[in-house]
Amino acid sequence: MSRDETSRRVDAIRAHSTEIENDLIDEYSAGRLSRRDFVRRGAVIGMSVPIIGFLASACGGEKRSGGTASNAVTQAGGKEVTVKPGGTLKTGIVAPAAELDPIKIADEGGLGILGQAGDYLTWSDNNLHLQPRLAESWKPNGDGTVWTFKIRSGVKFSDGSPMTAEDVAATMNRLADPKVGSNSLSTFGGALSKGGAKAVDPTTVEFTLDAPNGSFPYLVSSDNYNAIILPKNYDGNWDKTFIGTGPWKLQRYTPHVGVTLAKNPDYWDKTRVPKVDTSDIKFYDEEAAQVVALQSGEVDILTHYSVSGGKALLNNPNLKTIELRSSTHRQMHMRNDKDPFTDKRVRQAVALAINRQAMVDGLFAKKADEGNDSPFAPVFPTTDKSVPQRQQDLDKAKALLQQAGKGGGFSVTLDTWNGFEIPDLAQLVQNDLQQVGIKLKLNITKPGIYYGDAVYGKSPWLDSVMGITDYGHRGVPNVFLTAALGSKGPWNAAHFHNTSYDDLIKEYVGALDVSAQKSAAGKIQQMLLDETPIVFPYFYYFLTGTKKNVANVQVTAMGHFDLTKAGFTGT
Amino acid sequence: MPKFLAKRIGLGLITLWLLSVLVFFGASVLPGDVGRRVLGPFASQQAVDALNHKLGADQPLLQQYWDWISGFLRGDLGTSVNGQPVSDIIWPALGHSVKLAVLAFIIVVPLGILGGVVAALHEGKASDRLISVGGLSATAIPDFVWAVLAILVFSLWLNVLPSTAQWPDGSGFLTQIKYLLLPALCLVFVLFGYIARMARAGTIEALDADYTRTAVIKGLPQRTVMRRHVLRNSLLPTIAVVATQAGYLIGGLVVIELIFNYQGIGLALFRAAEQKDFPVLESAVLVVGVVFLLATLAADILYSVLNPRVRLGSEDA
Repeated sequence: MSRDETSRRVDAIRAHSTEIENDLIDEYSAGRLSRRDFVRRGAVIGMSVPIIGFLASACGGEKRSGGTASNAVTQAGGKEVTVKPGGTLKTGIVAPAAELDPIKIADEGGLGILGQAGDYLTWSDNNLHLQPRLAESWKPNGDGTVWTFKIRSGVKFSDGSPMTAEDVAATMNRLADPKVGSNSLSTFGGALSKGGAKAVDPTTVEFTLDAPNGSFPYLVSSDNYNAIILPKNYDGNWDKTFIGTGPWKLQRYTPHVGVTLAKNPDYWDKTRVPKVDTSDIKFYDEEAAQVVALQSGEVDILTHYSVSGGKALLNNPNLKTIELRSSTHRQMHMRNDKDPFTDKRVRQAVALAINRQAMVDGLFAKKADEGNDSPFAPVFPTTDKSVPQRQQDLDKAKALLQQAGKGGGFSVTLDTWNGFEIPDLAQLVQNDLQQVGIKLKLNITKPGIYYGDAVYGKSPWLDSVMGITDYGHRGVPNVFLTAALGSKGPWNAAHFHNTSYDDLIKEYVGALDVSAQKSAAGKIQQMLLDETPIVFPYFYYFLTGTKKNVANVQVTAMGHFDLTKAGFTGT
Repeated sequence: MPKFLAKRIGLGLITLWLLSVLVFFGASVLPGDVGRRVLGPFASQQAVDALNHKLGADQPLLQQYWDWISGFLRGDLGTSVNGQPVSDIIWPALGHSVKLAVLAFIIVVPLGILGGVVAALHEGKASDRLISVGGLSATAIPDFVWAVLAILVFSLWLNVLPSTAQWPDGSGFLTQIKYLLLPALCLVFVLFGYIARMARAGTIEALDADYTRTAVIKGLPQRTVMRRHVLRNSLLPTIAVVATQAGYLIGGLVVIELIFNYQGIGLALFRAAEQKDFPVLESAVLVVGVVFLLATLAADILYSVLNPRVRLGSEDA
């Protein structure tokens, strides 16, 4: 195609694009957006794949600025490999915490199962790219308050009934209903209310939001893991039927032990009909048992293991590990409204005293990114990478303490619980703070005690002067920003009440184009570095282990696993 | 005998009732509410309240206890906080624990008795020392340490036995035994020493007794002396020991069941306690209590069969 033809085609596309889409094309053409960010953002706002592809090369070519590093740090088997059809794959996952109810599930074990038998409107893959699933396409209106989704036709539920826009609207309204009390309320809060989803015709759903939201398609993606599309007359007992439109059908489910799934040969996506016949998923309560199961060959795949629990797997020549950058992290909060942390200089001193590199090396064998005291993990595309990483500086920390009148040091109690690497983290923090004269008393209990009733006044998590809390991965930082740091947030353990911050959050959440998001992100990052209500020491990788001869296993840092293309290679 | 049985069963029922009350009110004192426990700290308060209401956890304690006990007496064990019927959890779990206990017993009881008798017959000699000290050391090592060692040797190094005890659904009898071998082996190590020592002590005492000397002087062959006079008496204390171990094996194996991912009643109890899952907790405790009572009752009956003095109510018993 000649240059003239190309620019004519680009103009034609622009003439038919919305204002938001044109803004994005402007950013990209001006070189303010990397190709990767353009492609990703284009998908989020609903531009079609061929058009994105064409524009990516047509408007590209000059030096790009910014852009995020590839998420897959190392992906063993990144390209699809031929596998033997048929047979059974055995996968070990952490046991689902409660009954399998798509509406209530709030744990990694349960959500993984939902993704096998059910489908989402969109799929957030391990690069945080949105891929169409039950939704073929989507578009926002001018200010991002109404999003219209086109629903795929010809899709059937596992009981043979057809899936239509009415089922989609019913599913979303059910999840947004406070009386139903779904786990999704934490995702939909402030964005979608009950009744906000409407089936305009059998293949179109219109979402009318409570406030402008530039990332709404993520909220109905696999990131909102409860949002598998269910029939409009669904009334419970999912664990008896596993009703859904997904690539796997229920063969047998034994609570606490495992579930056997058979491939769905009539799956609507012919490129993702499973290669193997059966997927045998086994549940394990303890990580040690999971690790041994992979080592002894009892399972072929272990969807998630930690560095501390699975050291033997890392160096085992008969196994492979897939590493994904994730936003899983720990938050060390300090009560901004209680002595000794009312003065931000004291909080900054704490943040400057800790040695993040030592934590990354010691706790995760380098399989983690240093955190920079904000929820903006390196994995997020909107993170402003130009904000400098805070480094350990003991002299500066001591000077700040002096200025704040705490030169003589002080003593404070840190509350937390005894899971994962948290006790080790607490020890490292204790040692680091010792060097600047802060004596930390560790009060490490069980999760039931630390979290208590999870409401202010009845929870050491939310009431303690200092504590460490574990946060799981999310596809966008929104819930970390609002729930943990917003003035009205339910998880605001630091009691951080800052109206400028709240305004910046509104700016970030409502922004429809990438540069507006990045600029808001940068401002938030700087503000949080200054105020330091919470220390974010690191964001660690998501590790998956498989036998050497197993290929095409796809996982996301959230705990979703896609085995449709997986199987045994010839070796 | 019937009066004896009736009295024992009556006392047993009262004990069970007291147990249910203790457990219920004891568990209710633990911090945390049920809805929050089940859904986790990051669930919205609305979700937690909705679940608490659905489970009746927001009602007064006595009301909850009454609801549960009246259902139980009608045979309705209720529903777990996770939505499953309690009977679907308890009965399979009990079955699993019984299978493991039976396998362990089949191996360890004959082995322990044999070891104890042999040790007694060679009292003071090398074989006695080996059995006594070896058995004691094995008992001193906690069951989960044996579990880890067993998994290391048989699952990882030799790769002959599976590392979990929960067999895939639909497995045949022999496959189930294969899966159960490792945990059973751990239990054998733990119990052998105790049973052997009891058998040994009982046998030594019986060997020293007047009636044994009389039998030997009478000229009876050693085999007959052992069978008719010594063993019957030496096994009496051993029976009592074995019966109380039944309680340990059925309900007390939380750590072993956890390590081997075995869905026994110990694990069900533990989970229920963690989650404040009253229906499951209560039923599981009562089931274990019944097992204990039945085991000790069986032991008493067996004892009286073997020891006529008890049966006939003599003062010397």
